[in-house]
Amino acid sequence: MTSRDRRFELAVSRVLGLGVTAASLCLAAGLVAALAGSAGAVSSGLLAAGLLILMATPAARIVVAAVAYARGREWLFAGLTLVVLAELVASVVAAIQGR
Amino acid sequence: MFLVPLLNLGFGFPLRVSAAVSLATVIATSSSVSAERAQENLINLRLGTLLEVATVAGSLLGGVSAHLFAESTLQRLFGAVAIAVAIAVFSRVNRRNVILDPAAAPGRWGGVFVDAEHGAPVTYQVKRIPVALIGSFLAGNVSSLLGIGGGIIKVPVLNAWCGVPLRAAAATSAFMIGVTATGGAIIYYGRGDLPPLLAAPAVIGVQLGSWAGLRWADRATARALKILLVIVLLGVAALMFTRSLQS
Repeated sequence: MTSRDRRFELAVSRVLGLGVTAASLCLAAGLVAALAGSAGAVSSGLLAAGLLILMATPAARIVVAAVAYARGREWLFAGLTLVVLAELVASVVAAIQGR
Repeated sequence: MFLVPLLNLGFGFPLRVSAAVSLATVIATSSSVSAERAQENLINLRLGTLLEVATVAGSLLGGVSAHLFAESTLQRLFGAVAIAVAIAVFSRVNRRNVILDPAAAPGRWGGVFVDAEHGAPVTYQVKRIPVALIGSFLAGNVSSLLGIGGGIIKVPVLNAWCGVPLRAAAATSAFMIGVTATGGAIIYYGRGDLPPLLAAPAVIGVQLGSWAGLRWADRATARALKILLVIVLLGVAALMFTRSLQS
């Protein structure tokens, strides 16, 4: 296990951990706001933010991975992660078109 | 695997919505599990990255086509998958894939990790990559259509056919399904099938539940848990099939 692999793995874990925590806090806050009766802009804003952060977390992890692979000149894996990122972008496009 | 029947059969939400909410919880679970230190050596980043291409593609296809399927068709599919899972759990897929020879090389896709059982670094090599890719695509597809993680398909495929030890297969699968579920969740969200007010308690509840589950996991024997799991899965399958006849 090279030290580069180690740092890479730590970066990945940190992104995932932060993302989930941030998303959970937003969702919890939004839920509390909605239950406290102030349904409306505040609660729906918090809830939407929570969901968006949640969905962005694995995507952020992919970006971190792509950068790390590119830095390490591992072009095959950098390429693979970019393909996955492209697929996620495609899903966003499909989502926007579905509205 | 249990949230979808609960929301669909128990509370009457459409299967699309139940699947979408479940996918949100899968993202949360996958991310928080993969962030744990203990997982770091088990997750096969290289293999996972490769297979993610297939699995996210599958989940896109599933997400885009989900609304084309009738509720009853999806329910029947869910029932079939639940039965498949029950069989897999029952047969206790756990081939010994570790190579104990310290001079063995993992190859491009294999891995090395410290196995708790042996207390020393063990190696494994990955075989039949095309099989893994196809399995991942199918897992991603099913994941989006039904709102499950997809690990149900990936772990047995990786373990039984591709030479990956069970714990590494489970860790790598858990890592991959975060991205898989994201692809599907984004599409559902865009279509308005992911109500935030329903997703919030689900995500928080599942996080709390898994935290609590970890604390009590030692008490029950693995065997008892498996039997309970099989019974519940078969019950879910039966309910899904019955409901699909009524839809």
